[in-house]
Amino acid sequence: MTDVVFWILAPLLVICALGVVLSRNLYRAAYWLAGALVTTAVFYLALTSPLLAAVQILLYTGGVLTLVVFALVITASTDDKERWRRPMPAGVLALLVFVALASVIDRMGVAGSAQGGLADGTAIGVELFTRYIVPFELLSLLLLGAIFGALAIARREDPS
Amino acid sequence: MTLERLLFLSFVVFSIGLFGVLARRHVIALLLSLELMFNSVNLAILAVAWHNGWLEGVILVLFGIAITVAEVAVGLSLFLLAERIRGTVIVDDLSELKG
Amino acid sequence: MELAAIILGGPFLAFVLLGVIAPLRRSGRPAAYVSIAGIGASLAASVALLLRFQANPEPTTWEFLWAPLTRSPSIRFGVLLDGLSVPMLVVVSLVAFLVQIYSLGYMNAERPASLGRYYTFHSLFSMAMLGLVASHNTLQTYFFWELVGLGSYLLIGFWYEKPEASRAAMKAFWTTRLGDVGFALGLIFLWSAGGSFVFAELFERADTGELSGTMLTLGVAGLFLGAMGKSAQFPLHIWLPDAMEGPTPVSALIHAATMVAAGVYLMARISPLLGHTPHVAAWVLTLGTLTAFLAATMALVARDVKRILAFSTISQLGYMMAAVGAGGAIASIFHLTTHAFFKALLFLAAGSVIHAVHTNDIFEMGRLWKKMPITGVYFLVGGLALAGVFPLAGFFSKDEILITLWSGGHSIAFWTLLVTAGLTAFYMFRAFFVVFFGEREFQGHAHESPAVMVGPMGVLAVLAVAGGALGPGIARLLERSISVAGHHEASHAGLAALIPYLGTAAAAFGILVAWLGYQRRAFRPEAIRKAAGPLVTLLERRYFIDEIFLFFYRVLYLGLGAVVGWIDRYIIDGLVNFVSWATWQVAGYLRRVQTGRAQDALYAIAIGFLLLVILAMRG
Repeated sequence: MTDVVFWILAPLLVICALGVVLSRNLYRAAYWLAGALVTTAVFYLALTSPLLAAVQILLYTGGVLTLVVFALVITASTDDKERWRRPMPAGVLALLVFVALASVIDRMGVAGSAQGGLADGTAIGVELFTRYIVPFELLSLLLLGAIFGALAIARREDPS
Repeated sequence: MTLERLLFLSFVVFSIGLFGVLARRHVIALLLSLELMFNSVNLAILAVAWHNGWLEGVILVLFGIAITVAEVAVGLSLFLLAERIRGTVIVDDLSELKG
Repeated sequence: MELAAIILGGPFLAFVLLGVIAPLRRSGRPAAYVSIAGIGASLAASVALLLRFQANPEPTTWEFLWAPLTRSPSIRFGVLLDGLSVPMLVVVSLVAFLVQIYSLGYMNAERPASLGRYYTFHSLFSMAMLGLVASHNTLQTYFFWELVGLGSYLLIGFWYEKPEASRAAMKAFWTTRLGDVGFALGLIFLWSAGGSFVFAELFERADTGELSGTMLTLGVAGLFLGAMGKSAQFPLHIWLPDAMEGPTPVSALIHAATMVAAGVYLMARISPLLGHTPHVAAWVLTLGTLTAFLAATMALVARDVKRILAFSTISQLGYMMAAVGAGGAIASIFHLTTHAFFKALLFLAAGSVIHAVHTNDIFEMGRLWKKMPITGVYFLVGGLALAGVFPLAGFFSKDEILITLWSGGHSIAFWTLLVTAGLTAFYMFRAFFVVFFGEREFQGHAHESPAVMVGPMGVLAVLAVAGGALGPGIARLLERSISVAGHHEASHAGLAALIPYLGTAAAAFGILVAWLGYQRRAFRPEAIRKAAGPLVTLLERRYFIDEIFLFFYRVLYLGLGAVVGWIDRYIIDGLVNFVSWATWQVAGYLRRVQTGRAQDALYAIAIGFLLLVILAMRG
């Protein structure tokens, strides 16, 4: 299964990524991002973690993208008339970063694959509520803060 | 489907996202590119975890997603406020903190 | 030893009491009695000490450890009682005692609080002077030396509301301070080369040759510089005439008998070292002679009776210094003793006159002999003693000095001092005739002074007359203490036998000229004064030495200050300002890095990230 899956999904992901970055129309860009996120979800499946796939689709795609689209609607801005701001330096830098990172892979000396089962939801749940309980709770606090923060920041002032 | 290839892929997407972050003018476009970068990192983490069988990797990605969600929420609300007050969606024009 | 404690402790205790207990001090006359009691105790103890010492003339030292040191010999302080310090203690306490009693009458117009302050300072001074005399090492001498200077400052500037008095006090302090720098350097050199502050030890080491050469010379020269300041040798003599702004009893005590004598005393004390440094000794001789002559010339034209006496003091101090320089420390101390008596007498007599007529100018006085006969007699006695007329004390002591010079072969000094003796007689009797006789009578009311002032003068007069007899006794005492090195045995043989006659002749000549000019009016001194116009100006302006000092002060000192100030303002401050300006400039450029545009910061982050990855890979 493995290689074929990879070679189908990988180009898909790259194309979607390019679509996000290159689209003039922002709605289109959002949809390209959706595509990239879903593709990633499928990757998660292939990497034996259905939990993450589900979370990815529900939260990421369903949640984040919805929010983005809402924001676009509210501000009624669709087109980015001139897309780029100094593309050359950005491109060069991105390229350099890629090269640097890629050469890391070279040195890693990774060989073979001893894939493991990451599908055990029960185990994940147990770990989450025992060893990682503190970060878990902190995360909930963070989310709470984010909710209130977002509400407080963007609230319309009361006309009265 | 080797680790190497997966990492390579994630770095490609990362760089594409980096390009978008640095070069796009619209705030939302910048945020979308940023999302792309986060996503690629999550993929990389899971790839390493899958390769070694570490369950912690899943938890890490989970947390990562949750945090990203929070960040996007706040970021978007900031964007809404900024757009309302300053009337612009161009990143460059939101530069009041200049020296 | 206990006597020493009383001698030093008496005035010290008085000073502390008066200093601390303000009501006592402000009460006036009771404060005076406390002070007089203190110095009286000193006097009694000093005399007792002298008698005991004469019976058993062995020098005694009493030491205590003051500063224990580990890598150098510890600093000890101590009291040295020998043939030099014991008689000196008597002289100092006697004159101080008499002056303090005299002051009861002279200062009767002072408010009680002022009077208390006066006597507090007197006690301070007496303690310091006695301490100086009894010191057994250079460092301790220096401490008391400074204290004496302080006492002098306080007493000269006693009437501080008078600007001239304040200025005079400052002038005295600064000029002696200049000398004191030399003193400090000198004692440091001696310590560095000789390893000790103690006189006896320094003398030993100089004798064995351990202490010699440049360091010794510099050390002795430094000490002499200090003596120059205190004893008003040329050119550090400028403060003494101005110091006459202080009350006359103060002038009598400090600027005739004691403080100015400290310099001579010091030189006599270190005369063994002088014996090893002929260059310094020659210098001392030269300066002493020069001082004696110049001061006498300046006295010729003075109108203020106290100024005349001040110049006279400078002149006589010059005699003493010359004697020390020529190796005649004994003669010098002898003259110091007799001078203390008759000069103090003269000052007190002058004070008596001033107190009665309320002016210092001799030409405003006249024919006071009738109204103040006792004072007149005392003034005459003092004048004769100063002029060196046989058989008064001054004759013998001045004679000894002249003999010492002659037998030492210092002919220039000898003849100069002989001529100066003539000048001395002249100016002294000029003053005498003008004040007590003369053509014009003093306009105004003048009466003889009260007993409290006349009494002390009487004591001094007796000593001025009979003091000559003390000579051999003093010599005997001193011989044992001032070691032989550097001391010439003055021979009275040969031509030296003529010297007493020469001296007397000079004195007689001077008196005669004064008599002819001011009493008999055989010639008109005023005409001479006009005729010798420029010369007189030179003398009246004191050879412009004051102006020279002022020049150095203004141009060099203040000028240097101005230059330094300019450097400080423009260069140093300029540097600081420049740094500040540069910082602003750089900041102005650097702040433009903060564009406020998010993506510019993101670029920076990305570049940083890139660098980190590269670094991580290398490492």
